[in-house]
Amino acid sequence: MTFLDFQALSPLLALTATILVVLMIIAYNRNHKVVCTTTVIGLFITLATIPCVIGIDPVQVTQLLVIDRFALLLITLIALVTIAVSLLAYDYFDGNSGRPEEFYLLLMLSALGGMVLVSSTHFASFLLGLELLSISLYALISYPIKGLIPLEAAVKYLILSGVASATLLMGAALLYAGLGTLSFEQLGSGFYPEQATVQAYIVIGSALLLTGLAFKLSLVPFHMWTPDVYEGAPAPVTAFVATVSKGAIFALMVRFFVLTGAFEYQSILVGLSVFAIGSMLAGNLLALMQNNVKRMLAYSSIAHIGYLLVAFISGGITGGMALALEASIFFLVAYIVTTLGAFGIVTILSNSDESRDCDALENYTGLFWRRPALAGAFSIILFSLAGIPLTAGFIGKFYIIAAGVKGTLWLLIATLVVGSGIGIYYYLRVIYTMTLKSTSTEPIRIPVASGWVMLLVTATILTLGVYPTPFIDMLGDLAKSLT
Amino acid sequence: MEIALFYIAATIALVSTFLVLTNFNAAHGLIYLIISLLASAVIFYVVGAPFAAALEILVYAGAIMVLFVFVVMMLNMGQQGIDQEHEWLNLRMWIVPSILSLILLAEIIYVLAAGSVLLPGHGVEPKAVGMSLFGPYVLAVEIASMLLLAGLVGAYQLGRRYLEENREEDNQ
Repeated sequence: MTFLDFQALSPLLALTATILVVLMIIAYNRNHKVVCTTTVIGLFITLATIPCVIGIDPVQVTQLLVIDRFALLLITLIALVTIAVSLLAYDYFDGNSGRPEEFYLLLMLSALGGMVLVSSTHFASFLLGLELLSISLYALISYPIKGLIPLEAAVKYLILSGVASATLLMGAALLYAGLGTLSFEQLGSGFYPEQATVQAYIVIGSALLLTGLAFKLSLVPFHMWTPDVYEGAPAPVTAFVATVSKGAIFALMVRFFVLTGAFEYQSILVGLSVFAIGSMLAGNLLALMQNNVKRMLAYSSIAHIGYLLVAFISGGITGGMALALEASIFFLVAYIVTTLGAFGIVTILSNSDESRDCDALENYTGLFWRRPALAGAFSIILFSLAGIPLTAGFIGKFYIIAAGVKGTLWLLIATLVVGSGIGIYYYLRVIYTMTLKSTSTEPIRIPVASGWVMLLVTATILTLGVYPTPFIDMLGDLAKSLT
Repeated sequence: MEIALFYIAATIALVSTFLVLTNFNAAHGLIYLIISLLASAVIFYVVGAPFAAALEILVYAGAIMVLFVFVVMMLNMGQQGIDQEHEWLNLRMWIVPSILSLILLAEIIYVLAAGSVLLPGHGVEPKAVGMSLFGPYVLAVEIASMLLLAGLVGAYQLGRRYLEENREEDNQ
């Protein structure tokens, strides 16, 4: 490893150093405020190292990781989401029984796993990053020591995520058996062999790989764990699972497909299309029946990953790769910001000392009259999820339809339109509930840090929706550099 | 012949893993799990990775399984536990595990006696493993260290739930 390698890795090194510092602080003296502040400062230092890397990218650090614009964008995103989740969690755990300090440690370890994932170019770093992300998440999901719901959610996630990892490993083993390498780039050069046996290895290996990824992305028919885990996990952790964990895995999938060119296999594209159609339909239809905001958002996130796949699949059509990448990255960013906001609202209304988070729909009755600002922010977030103009969600969906039209994926676009139509009903139902006359007069306190996070999230959603040009230009350059 | 050795060991691994799942008694299940791990170690040995075979036995069959067996046994204390241990030491229970282990032992003796009965390909020496771990895969070792830290902190956090519940019971 050269100095350049270390410079390229500086965001990951800064985060690792922060983890160790926080570990030492916890060992020396437990103080919630100090630990949370150190975490946030460490994450800002991580962000500050990114400009030092931009000049020298792309750097291939050993054969395991590559630090390029794509990885840097997602590392920035992961760091920002982790800051937001830390601040939300501070208010969620503040002044309550239990020890909240290790939460930040696990959160940063999980974020580190996500950062490794988005820069992996090798199965070794891919699986290690994935496990680092998931193992920290098991502990985070079961973090509140009161109540059995988080524990149940963690056990479900542990078993299903373990099965998914095993499937991924089996797929990687078959690809290795067929091609004799674990590096994505070298896999790509041998991905279209003459011999039928090797081809069979590749197709079955990729199918197992896709199954594992679909589990982690909660695509239909591998989505069963999602609503239970989202409901059972404490609200800040749900925000993290829905954003960082899914975003990092999707980024890995993009990199794998771009480097290996797995798109050329028709069977893989058909498999992806089945996932996409199933997720868009089942996600939206099942969300209709939910009276629990967390479960509704879980099903809506299943549908959103389905939309994301539409843009991704259009990359398989000749010459559509740049637009497909641009569209899917934009949609991913919009999805991450919006979902973070949605679970942020649930976090503000909840408290870790209560046995349940504030997730029943009736808890939101009359929110407009009790806390107009909070209800207004939630409405903007829901509009963005529904894809209504002036929000990031609209531009994202528009982009996806553009990519789909270019790829002439008519069936997928039709499903997307139908799915979005169904979606509007259950998003508006929440807004309708918020406008009803309130029965409760209990005041709602909005903590300072969480309030700022929500303000920034809402502002970002509106900015991306009204004036997305600078961001789109940046994504255009990025997509060109990847392909 | 080498292929036959592989298939025998693989069958033992599959059968014993199946018995782990179908066994209602945790201690008996663990015995079969150990045999399953020994069988995979034999497979590693036969295909020319003696170092991986040794690690499989040291780490899984050795350290981790002993911990498992300890925990399962510690959870049953008192007279009831003693009765249960009598039941575990029932000779009939040992017949199938012994037969499976003896087959594996015979395989290992055969391989050792024949000298170089390895599948085509090259053997992987411990030195080569070390060279690649601290050469091209050094980042993987670093990430794995963070993975262990995550596991440690996570286990501590899960254990605290148990401690806290006990404390509440003591207070009442």
